[in-house]
Amino acid sequence: MTEAEIWLSFVLITLATVATRSGLLLAGRRFVIPPRVESALRYAPACALAAIIAPDLLLSAGQVQLSVVNPRLAAGVAGATIFLFSRSTIGTIIGGMGAFWLVRVLFPG
Amino acid sequence: MSETSARDAFWRGVRELLPAGPGVFAWGLVTGVAMVKSGLTVAQATGLSLLAYAGSAQLAALPLIAGAAPVWVVAFTALIANLRFLVYAAYTRSSFTHLSAARRTVLGYLVGDVMFVRYVALLTNHPDYPQRVPYYVGGAIANWIIWQVASLLGIFGANVIPTDWGLELAGTLALVALVVPLCAKRPALAGVAVSSAVAVLAHGLPLRLGLLLAVFAGMGTALAVESRSAA
Repeated sequence: MTEAEIWLSFVLITLATVATRSGLLLAGRRFVIPPRVESALRYAPACALAAIIAPDLLLSAGQVQLSVVNPRLAAGVAGATIFLFSRSTIGTIIGGMGAFWLVRVLFPG
Repeated sequence: MSETSARDAFWRGVRELLPAGPGVFAWGLVTGVAMVKSGLTVAQATGLSLLAYAGSAQLAALPLIAGAAPVWVVAFTALIANLRFLVYAAYTRSSFTHLSAARRTVLGYLVGDVMFVRYVALLTNHPDYPQRVPYYVGGAIANWIIWQVASLLGIFGANVIPTDWGLELAGTLALVALVVPLCAKRPALAGVAVSSAVAVLAHGLPLRLGLLLAVFAGMGTALAVESRSAA
């Protein structure tokens, strides 16, 4: 890409971002969201987080790795367990990274 | 009605975002490093970070820019990678209807995954919270500052920051800490389970459409479980 094309694509990425984030906020009051959809939206954060986390922990080179020797899955399980007992985000990160490295060292390859 | 001032609400928004700060920081750093490693110059990467402020759309666009894909393909990919924000806006819009169009645009632009989770948690626990806009702004600004600082550090330190020690895993673990408390009730737990499964199974779909599909499947499941237990 030329320099101009690169900056043009940045502007378009920004417009795409504003359109998705602010578009609905600018839609007039005539646009009404049904109550059932409105109540489903309360679950959006949990579902979106799960959809970001799960592939990251379970997939390795496109393959599902449902095994205790999958270091990323071990990190997620350890992190979630630590959070349940400590309610600490830092503890979750440190403990999860610890589990990741432990499994990597114990079960290399 | 409690006597919460706008200033208190703003700082509460900042304060409640901070525990997840390390995760926001890790994601910003990863995005900054990735932009430079994919071939963008420091000036270009800085420009993209400050303009778009959209980690997942930026990461999705990078291979296309590096591969000299047509500009409209880059834009379309960014649009699809951002579609979950439509869902977020559908949630926030009823709280913002009294504001000017310019303010609504800025508030929408400043949304982020982590601050949105905090905002929904606030309104779930306190449905009549009076100062929701200042609370939102506090969380959004804290999220923006942490992410941009981390992204710039990643851009300028791309060649000295090692990427093989699982930096992006730290970001994912921070999200784990965010999602666990949301699973306390059965509908949310069911939604998370289905969303996770769909996201894994549909991971091969182009343009990160699997993410969107997973969110819809999860929300539908949560709603179904909720109305069953209410009946």
